[in-house]
Amino acid sequence: MVGPQYDLLANPLGVVRSTFDTAIASGSDPTTLNGRDWGAINLFRHFLSDQSQLSQVPLLTPATIKYVKPNTLVRFRGMIQDMLGNEFYVGTFKDGSVWRTNKFSDISQYPIPSGSSVDNQIWERRLLYCVPIPGLSPWAESTPETDANLSMDCTSDQREKRRRGDDESSDMHVENDEVVEGSPNTKRMREGEGERSSLASQSQGAVPDIAGSCTSLMSGLNGNSTSCIVKIYDTPESELRLNDIFEFVGILTSDLEIQDDCEDRDLLNDFSEDPLHNFPPNKVPRLHCLIHRKLSILDFLQHTPIIEPKPDLVKGIRESLLKHLSAVLGNDDVAAHFMLLHLLSKVQARVDALAVGKFSVNFTCFSKEIASIFGKQLNLAIKNLVPFTHCIPLTVEYLNTASLAPKKNYDKNRLETGVLQLAEGSHLIVDETQLEAGTLNSVGVENASLLKNLMEMQKVDYDFKYYKMEMATDVQLLVLSEGKSNILPADVIVPIRPSATNCSEAVSAETWEAWRWYLGTVRQLPHCMESGMEKMVESDLVDAIQADRSLSIQDFSRWLTMGRLMSLSYGETSMSLEHWQMAKELERLRRERIK
Amino acid sequence: MNTKGVDFASDKVLASRFLSEFADANGEAKYINILQDVANHKTRSVEIDLDDLMNYKDLDEEFLTRVTENTRRYVGIFADAIDELMPEPTEAFIDDDHDILMTQRSDEGTEGADGSDPHQKMPSEIKRFFEVYVKASSKGRPFTIREVKASNIGQLVRLAGIVTRCSDVKPLMQVAVYTCEDCGFEIYQEVTARIFMPLFECPSRRCVMNKNKGNVILQLRASKFLRFQEAKIQELAEHVPKGHIPRTMTVHLRGELTRKVAPGDVVELSGIFLPIPYVGFRAMRAGLVADTYLEAMSVSHFKKKYEEYELRGDEEEQIKRLAEDGDIYDKLARSLAPEIFGHEDIKKALLLLLVGAPHRQLKDGMKIRGDLHICLMGDPGVAKSQLLKHIINVAPRGVYTTGKGSSGVGLTAAVQKDPVTNEMVLEGGALVLSDMGICAIDEFDKMDESDRTSIHEVMEQQTVSIAKAGITTSLNARTAVLAAANPAWGRYDLRRTPAENINLPPALLSRFDLLWLILDRADMDNDLEMARHVVYVHQNKESPALGFTPLEPSVLRAYISTARRLSPTVPRELEEYIASAYSSIRQEEAKSTTPHSYTTVRTLLSILRISAALARLRFAETVAQSDVDEALRLMQMSKFSLYSDDRQRSGLDAISDIYSILRDEAARSHKMDVNYRDALNWISRKGYSEAQLKECLEEYAALNVWQIHPQTFDIKFIDA
Repeated sequence: MVGPQYDLLANPLGVVRSTFDTAIASGSDPTTLNGRDWGAINLFRHFLSDQSQLSQVPLLTPATIKYVKPNTLVRFRGMIQDMLGNEFYVGTFKDGSVWRTNKFSDISQYPIPSGSSVDNQIWERRLLYCVPIPGLSPWAESTPETDANLSMDCTSDQREKRRRGDDESSDMHVENDEVVEGSPNTKRMREGEGERSSLASQSQGAVPDIAGSCTSLMSGLNGNSTSCIVKIYDTPESELRLNDIFEFVGILTSDLEIQDDCEDRDLLNDFSEDPLHNFPPNKVPRLHCLIHRKLSILDFLQHTPIIEPKPDLVKGIRESLLKHLSAVLGNDDVAAHFMLLHLLSKVQARVDALAVGKFSVNFTCFSKEIASIFGKQLNLAIKNLVPFTHCIPLTVEYLNTASLAPKKNYDKNRLETGVLQLAEGSHLIVDETQLEAGTLNSVGVENASLLKNLMEMQKVDYDFKYYKMEMATDVQLLVLSEGKSNILPADVIVPIRPSATNCSEAVSAETWEAWRWYLGTVRQLPHCMESGMEKMVESDLVDAIQADRSLSIQDFSRWLTMGRLMSLSYGETSMSLEHWQMAKELERLRRERIK
Repeated sequence: MNTKGVDFASDKVLASRFLSEFADANGEAKYINILQDVANHKTRSVEIDLDDLMNYKDLDEEFLTRVTENTRRYVGIFADAIDELMPEPTEAFIDDDHDILMTQRSDEGTEGADGSDPHQKMPSEIKRFFEVYVKASSKGRPFTIREVKASNIGQLVRLAGIVTRCSDVKPLMQVAVYTCEDCGFEIYQEVTARIFMPLFECPSRRCVMNKNKGNVILQLRASKFLRFQEAKIQELAEHVPKGHIPRTMTVHLRGELTRKVAPGDVVELSGIFLPIPYVGFRAMRAGLVADTYLEAMSVSHFKKKYEEYELRGDEEEQIKRLAEDGDIYDKLARSLAPEIFGHEDIKKALLLLLVGAPHRQLKDGMKIRGDLHICLMGDPGVAKSQLLKHIINVAPRGVYTTGKGSSGVGLTAAVQKDPVTNEMVLEGGALVLSDMGICAIDEFDKMDESDRTSIHEVMEQQTVSIAKAGITTSLNARTAVLAAANPAWGRYDLRRTPAENINLPPALLSRFDLLWLILDRADMDNDLEMARHVVYVHQNKESPALGFTPLEPSVLRAYISTARRLSPTVPRELEEYIASAYSSIRQEEAKSTTPHSYTTVRTLLSILRISAALARLRFAETVAQSDVDEALRLMQMSKFSLYSDDRQRSGLDAISDIYSILRDEAARSHKMDVNYRDALNWISRKGYSEAQLKECLEEYAALNVWQIHPQTFDIKFIDA
C-alpha cells in the first residue's frame, strides 16, 4: 500500500479520493465498488489503531464544536436514538473521462453531468440520529484534556464561531446576512428571504419540540448538548442497533451550502420531505462515519487501570465498596449487600418471556424523613458509581403527563424519545415516596403499565401508533417506597433498617475510579456452574418448595441470580457452595425482615 | 438499467402482439376485452399483469426483464400500443365535456396543421381515457421496505407495508392547454414533473413569424388532470429486525389508484421505485442526495380472514407433507405455545378451537354454530393468560381482552355520542371486532354484569343485539370464545364441591364446549422438573430443548386455514354410537349425587363439533369413530382433576377400577378381544394414565384373567 500522501486528520476526503483514484487506476470497475471499500477504510483503521493517533482526533462536544473545522476527522460518542432510513446519493460518476466519487461527503467537488444515468452510479448510505448518552454522569464525560493536544487553528474559524453565537441568540436575520457573505447563492437567498425566515422560525420551533420531550433527561446535564447525524457506509445492519452506544470516527461536514432551498419546499407539500428536514445542518452536524466502535462501561473510565481482576484485589475493592454502600444506607449491611448485587446485575439472556439475570430491588420503609436523608445520598453514590443514571420521582401528576415511551411522530417522521429510551446498562431509580393518592388518566395507566413491563420483562413498547414494537432493554431498576410497591413489582423487596444517619466520609477520586472499574469489569465476567453444584442447587430448590408452597418459578430464578451475582462479586467465574450459601443466608435475613 | 441497443419500436410491436394475442385460461382474449370496455367508457384502467406476460406462449424472456427493470418507459410503450389497438366503441355513451372538446379539436386540427411545431401537436396523453398499470408478478415473497436498495431504482418492485399517512386527493396536471389571444391556436404542454414552468409567450409559428409575443391563457377546462394522492408506508412490525426502527417510504398514487388506502391499512403494493428529480436550487446541489418514491401500479389489501387466506410458495407442499404424516394432531398441538411446558390436552383443545367446525344452517333458518367455546379455569400462575395470548397470535384474526375491559364499549357493543357531531354512533366491542375470528377473554369471572348477560346471546346465537338511544340493531359476532377464569376463591378449594368452586352460572357454563380445570398441585416430580428448568435456563441461557421442532406459526396458520375449508359430515352408522355415548354420560350424571357438569343437548352438539373439527384436521370429508372417541376423551379429560378426587373418596383403587372399565366395555360389545388403543381410550376418558393401564394389564395377566399380546399389548379375555 502506498503511504498516505495526505494528512489523514486534516484532509480525510483527500485520502478517500486518492485511494479511489488508485483503485480505479489499478483496474477496478467503478460500478462494482458499491458497498465495498477500496482501501480507504483500511488506511484509516490502521492509522487509528494507534491509541496516540486516536487521541489526536478531536471529540465532538458542545465545547469543541466551536473549534473543529468541517471536512476534518472528528470523534463522536453517542447513543443511536433514531434511524432515519437510507439516503441515496450519486456514489461515483464520470466527469469527462475521469471517475470521481462522492463517498463520505455531502457535496460534490466537481459538477455532476446530468442526464447520463449510466455513468451516475447511485449508492446508498444509512442515516442514524445520535444523541449524547442520556443520563451520563459527570465523571464519565470526556474531559477536555484529551483535546488539549489538539492543534487548534482558531483564527481561521472566526466565521464559524460567530455563526454559532448567532444561532444561540436565534436571530435569524443576522444569520441570514452571515450566510449571504459566504454563500455563492446570494441571489437565491435574498429572493426567498421572506419565506425563509418564516419557515426558519417554524423549524426553529420544531427543534425544541423534539428536544422538549427529552429535556427531562438532559436538562440537568447540559442545556447545550450536541446531537449528530451519522451517515454509515457499507456496514451490515445488524451491527448498529437502536440505543447502542458507539464511538464514531468520521468526517465532519456542516456545510452551509446545504442549508437550503426552503422555497422549493413550499411548492412541494410537506410530504416528500427529506428525512433531514427537521435537522437544520447549522444545528445538527453531519458525520460521515469511517470507523465505529461499540463502547462498554470501561471505556468511560478516565484512567483505565489495566489490571487483571485478581481475586484478592477484587475482594479488597468489594469490601471497601460494601462498606461505603452500607454507610450510605445508614449502616444497613443487608441492604448494602443487596445493593451491591443489584449494581452488578445485567440481563444475561432472554429465554421466552423471561429476562434472565435482571435483579431489580425495592427498598421499602422509606418514609418521607428517611427518604430525605438517604434518598439523596443513595442517588449521589449511584451517580458516582454508574456511568448512566436516571431518577424518576413518581407522582400522580408525573405519571399522567410524562411521555415515558418513545413515540413515532408521523408528521415529522421522527421517533420522539421518551424517558424510557435508555442505553444498555443504565441505572434507573424510581422514587415512589412522593406518590400520593390520586386518579390516573389514560396516559397515566399506560405509563404505569410501561414501568411494570420494564420491571417484569425488561422490555419497553415503543409506540408506532399502528402497532407497538417491543424493544429489549437492560436497565437496573431501583425502587424506593414506603410500603411494598404494587405498581412496580420488583424482584426483591428489602425493608431498610438504618441505624445511623450521616455518612460524610470523604472518598478519594482514585477510590471512586477503582470502584467503577470493579463494577464495570466484574459485571462482564462470564459465569457458569459446575454440574455437581447444579445438582446441589436443584435439590435445594426442591426442598424449599416442598417446605413452602408459595414459592414460584420467579423466586427460584431470583435465587439463582443472587447466587451468581454473589460469586461474581468476588470475581469468581463459577459458583461455589460457599457463595450459594451466602446468597441463601442473605435471602433468609431479608425474609425475616419482611415477616 | 442498461438501455443501450434496445429498440423501443420493436418492443412496441411485441407489446401490441401480446395485448392482442394473449388468451387467459378460458381462451378469452383478456386484454382486447378490457380495451373494448375502455372504448365503451366502462373502465379507465388497463392493468397488465406480469403473470400473464409470463404465461404468454410466445414469451420473450428478455422483453419481460426489460419491462420489470425499466417499467416506466414500458408503461408508455404499452400505452402507445393500446392507442393503436383501441377498438371502436360498441355501445352508445353520453358525451362529456372531454368528448365534445375532442371532437372540436379533431375538426379544427386539420385547419392549421403546421404539424412540425411540437407545441401544437396534440400529445397522445390528452386523447386517452385510460391509464396503464403494470402489475408485478404475485409469485414469491414481496419485498420489505428495508430490502429495496439503490439497485432497484427504476424497477418494478412488490412490497408489503402499513399505510401511516395519506394526503388529500389533488388534481395533478398532465397536459396543460393554452390558447393564444393573437393567433387563437391551442397550445399543449406536457407536464412530467410535479412542478412546471408555465408558458408566457405563444410559440406557434404564426406568432413567431409575426414577432408578436402572443399572450397565452391557460385553459383549465381543456387541460388534462389526473387524480393524485401521496401516502407513506411503513414496514410491518414483523419485518423489522430486533433493535431497529421501521423504515418508511413515500408512495405516489395516481388516477384510479387514489382513495384506495387509508392510514392503518396493511397493503401489498407493486410499483416503480423512482428517484425524484430535483429542480431549481436543489439541482444545483449537484444531485447528490436523491429522494425516492414508489410510483404505485397496483394496491391490494392484506386478507386476514381464514377464508381468504392465500397460501404462498411452498406452503401448499409443506401442508401436504404434514397431512400425510400420521401424527399431525399431536404435532400441531405441541407447536402451540411450545414454551409452555406440558398441558398437552389443553393444547389439543385449543387447536380444535382454532380449527372449529362448519356452521350449519337448517332449512327452517335455524343456525347452529360451528365455533367452539373453551373456558380455562384454574389457579393463578398456571400460564392461562400466556396460552390465551399465544392463541391470539396464531389466529389470523383475534382480539385479546379482559373481562373488565378498560374502554366503555365493553365486550359487546355500545351506543356512544360523538363529541363533535352529537350524533349517536354504534361502537363495536371486542366480541364484534373479532367476528369470524377468536375472542380471548381473560378474567372472565370478573366480567361486568351487563356484559355477562349479553355474552349468552353471543355464544349461542352469535349476534349482539342493541336497543338503546333509538338504535335497534343486531351485529354479527361469529366468534369463538376462549375464556380464562379463576375459581371462586381465587384458588381452587378442594374441600368444596366443584360447583361451588366454579363460580359461573350453569346457563353460561353449558355454552362452553369444554371447561378445563388446571390445578396447581404439589407434586415431587413437577417440582423437580421446575427446579431443573430454572437451573438449566440460568446455566445455558436458553430453554431446554423441546425434543421436537415446533412448527412455525405461519405454517400452523396455513394448515388450519386449509383444514377450515372442509365441512365434514357425520355418517349414518356413527349416529347410533354418538347417541349411546351421550345417553351413558347422562345416566352417569343422574347416578352421581354431586354432578360436575351439566350435560344437556348442548353437550351432544359439542361432541359433534369437536368430532367435526378433528375430522377437518385429518382433511377427511366424514367424521370417523376415532374422532368421536377423541372428542369424548377430551371432554372427560377436561374434568380429570375432579374425577381423581372422586375416586379417592370412593376408595376404589385405580387398578381395579381400570379392570372394571375394561370388563364392562368388553361385555358391552360382546367381544373377548380388546384392542390396546381402544383400551387406552376408554381408561383415559375416565382419567387414568397409560402407566396405570400397563400396571393393570400386568397385574391381571398374572392372575390369568386375560392374556396380553407381547408386541401390540392387545387384550384377550380368558373365558371363565
